[in-house]
Amino acid sequence: MELEQSLDRVKAQGLGLGAISYDSVGVLKAFAEREHITYPLLSDPDSKVIRSYGILNETVDQSTPFFGIPYPGIYVVDARGVVTAKYFEDDYRVRDTAASILLRQFGLEPISRAPVQAKHLTLATAGGEEPARPQQRITLSVDISLPDRVHVYAPGVTGYIPISLSLKPSPAFQADPVWYPQSRSMRLEVIHETVPVYEGHFRMLATITLGGPQALQPLLDAEHNLPIEGEFRYQACDDHECFVPETVPLKWAIRVLPFDRTRAPESLRRK
Amino acid sequence: MNLPWPRVFPALLLTGALAAAAVPTGPKAGQAVPDFRLADQDGTVRTLRSILGPKGALLVFFRSADW
Repeated sequence: MELEQSLDRVKAQGLGLGAISYDSVGVLKAFAEREHITYPLLSDPDSKVIRSYGILNETVDQSTPFFGIPYPGIYVVDARGVVTAKYFEDDYRVRDTAASILLRQFGLEPISRAPVQAKHLTLATAGGEEPARPQQRITLSVDISLPDRVHVYAPGVTGYIPISLSLKPSPAFQADPVWYPQSRSMRLEVIHETVPVYEGHFRMLATITLGGPQALQPLLDAEHNLPIEGEFRYQACDDHECFVPETVPLKWAIRVLPFDRTRAPESLRRK
Repeated sequence: MNLPWPRVFPALLLTGALAAAAVPTGPKAGQAVPDFRLADQDGTVRTLRSILGPKGALLVFFRSADW
């Protein structure tokens, strides 16, 4: 289960981790052993806690064993148990990985690949290092380092080529709009202009939602990785001049696991 | 030449809180979550306090470990 792989990094952030479902202790024990899960899986068989959180799914037919499930999601709470963020989805098959959440909310350092030297800047990609399942959401990051006195332009600028991060469209995933950090205003006295720029280090995030197994299967390589391509376009300028716009090709490879369809032993299953 | 005032680029996503109107999502940001006493997979009773780390916790609600 993907949370288990992020457990060390969750703990390193000083965060606890617990997962709640309406399964019996027996079902949770079987699951924990099969998936080698070490964090607490909590049994709420009468959905008392699910109800107390107000997230019981009341649209489920009460005569079926499926009644009692929650609307699935994740709360991020602080040391006093106060919600600081939460992630809920309409589609039960879409899941944020804990790594994606950590990256977006805490600015957690992803495990970067070796930086690539491009013209006027260095660039490093990260994200997608943990195996993912169909329909999971994954956040990919691109870190840019600019030398002193060099800047690039933020989206929305006119008159210069702004930075732009894009992923090559693929039937294997849907991409959210790219997230760019807040730029700063730079005054260019010589031409009486104020422009939005980035200097030093900054990070862009691209969050994607993987498709279902049928969409992914034909696009996986021999190692069961999904290759993702993109490009980063920019125009770098220093105090004296602007350079020719550049485009850097980007690549990620996401290891994809199949849907987990293993069931608990018959005797443990909810009737 | 017109001054290209920096457009404030909306900060997407960073503080979570996806609230699809049709789906109840429980306690809001800024609210305390309800406490609980539930057995874990080893039969040990856990409360919210026992799950919290020094900086808080991720609390995951999922449908089932079986199906």
